[in-house]
Amino acid sequence: MNLSYTILVYIVWFLSTYFIVVFLLTLIKNKSKLYNSPDLDKNNRLPKVSIVISAYNEQGKISDTIESLKSIDYPKELYEMIIVNDGSKDKTRDIIARYEDKKNIIFIDNKKNKGKAACLNQGIAIAKGAYVACMDADSVVPKNILKKTVPYFDDKDIGAVTVSVEVKHVNNFLQKIIQLEYILGLSLFLKVFSYLNCIHVTPGPFSIYRKDLVDKIGGFDVNNITEDLEIAYRIHKSGYRIANCMDTSVKTITPDNFKSLYRQRRRWYTGALKTLWQHKDILLRKKTGFFGYFIPFNYSLIIFGLGLFLLSLYLSFSNIIKNLSLYSLTNYNFFSNLSWDFDVLRISIFAIFGIFGIVGTIILVTFGLDITKNHSKKRVSIYFGYFLLFFLYQFFWLSSFFLVLFKRKVRW
Amino acid sequence: MVKNKGIFIAAAIITVMLFISIYSFNLFLNTQRERVVIERMEEVLDEYQELQALSLMSDVFGKEMTCLSLKSRLAHMDKTLWDTGIKIDKYREVTEKFITDPFYLNQKRKFNRNEIVYFLMLQNMKQWCQFNQTTILYFYQKKEDCPDCDAQSFVLTDLNKEIDPEIAIFSFDSNLELPSIQTLELFYDVASYPCIVVENSTYCGLHNKNDLISILCDHNKNISIC
Repeated sequence: MNLSYTILVYIVWFLSTYFIVVFLLTLIKNKSKLYNSPDLDKNNRLPKVSIVISAYNEQGKISDTIESLKSIDYPKELYEMIIVNDGSKDKTRDIIARYEDKKNIIFIDNKKNKGKAACLNQGIAIAKGAYVACMDADSVVPKNILKKTVPYFDDKDIGAVTVSVEVKHVNNFLQKIIQLEYILGLSLFLKVFSYLNCIHVTPGPFSIYRKDLVDKIGGFDVNNITEDLEIAYRIHKSGYRIANCMDTSVKTITPDNFKSLYRQRRRWYTGALKTLWQHKDILLRKKTGFFGYFIPFNYSLIIFGLGLFLLSLYLSFSNIIKNLSLYSLTNYNFFSNLSWDFDVLRISIFAIFGIFGIVGTIILVTFGLDITKNHSKKRVSIYFGYFLLFFLYQFFWLSSFFLVLFKRKVRW
Repeated sequence: MVKNKGIFIAAAIITVMLFISIYSFNLFLNTQRERVVIERMEEVLDEYQELQALSLMSDVFGKEMTCLSLKSRLAHMDKTLWDTGIKIDKYREVTEKFITDPFYLNQKRKFNRNEIVYFLMLQNMKQWCQFNQTTILYFYQKKEDCPDCDAQSFVLTDLNKEIDPEIAIFSFDSNLELPSIQTLELFYDVASYPCIVVENSTYCGLHNKNDLISILCDHNKNISIC
């Protein structure tokens, strides 16, 4: 067997198994308190909260977002909505203007498109709340969103709180597998990461921040296309922790076709790589706690995994070519070399590693779905979808590495 | 981080234990592979002894008496030998570079010696009992020394499956450097690899299925594919 392949298999196996085991052990240890969230102040003293939304061409969704915010279970005088129109070319501006009341709903109308981060900063600059929630204009929140998240800030070390992210509309197979990805990746994984103090992103659909911290670190980075990821690095750098609340959630719109999924992920992953480069000073530094170790571990797994994937692809492809050239010698008599007698002794150690990886992933997904109370009857299609997603990830990462290495510009 | 130190250490221990379990399981599979190869080699040896007994019986009871039994045993032996050879190669592929490699080399040597004995016996039987089986000697080397040898093995396997009882293929690994194989190579003038010898005529270089069929038919027109 190819030496580089052997080395890659061992490295990827060790990294991924260690990751899965740490994840499962943390999950088991905290299983009973996953859905627990801190209680409100005993005297029911609620702080003022500002919710900032940046909207660009969201005419079909912005009403739902505002309506969901209007019905939040929180005293009206204690929360404000700051909606920034980012130079929309559709009717978004007119729709927001209808809701504006100058007190509870504040409207900032930018004639030119400035970008999401700049708009959020604009809103944060005039926010009066002690905490500021940033939200996407295509997302909706449940009534309890503030009462569940605000109490986390009683812990002075908490700089931001994230919530479970759910898919708003599930209309096709792609959205079903994205739903699974969100259930695990943007809900359960973030919860488990919060116990290890290594949440690496404050998801754009809804995250709430300590206002003075956001002011101190200078708001969102306007030059970063994944501002919600970048700010998480600076929160860790400032010595604050990021918490996750699974007891509430935000529902958001997801891509409904492969092309838009590719465009979304290309932005996420190139942004992630640029952010990693931007904050390379945190890597393997004790001052950011486990986060400083988790990030290089995570990216090592991604890079080695991608290397193994590409090498496997190359070996499989060259094997197909080799077999075709062999069959050309026997007049393409494909049936002559087919053998139906399965011999377990012909399974190599690499195949055992592969089988182990598949079983490990199935355990992780099953355990994750059970814990998050997603008792779907279509488990087989879910597992199939998850493995399909795994292959898609490789292509997204590959494309993102290419774009970053060749300094290609990626837009929203 | 200190709070979760226990988890990180426990996870490291579990990961190493899982690796040891997989590695041990693979070692167990290796022993099972060795066991199967030894069993197969014993089968070959039993067959060979049976052939020897029949051969000796023919001296006492006459050749007609034993030719019929010999013919069926030889056909069986041919298949056993070919399957065993393939099994050894396949098992070597999955255990390649691992600790049991010397075992497979050893078995391969034994196997090749048995093949030579069987080949010689078959030559005698062909004279005594007028067997019409065509013999093919196939000389090969490892992939690094002979890039076409894998392809030649592939073609021979295909052909053997198609006309198994009508031909007997003996494959010899030249890298084993057995004096008996070297003598055969010298005798048949094997100058390069892969090389096949059909009924005392030597054909070196890669031959596809059509070439081989035409070579076989030149030597024996009674083969079903001619």
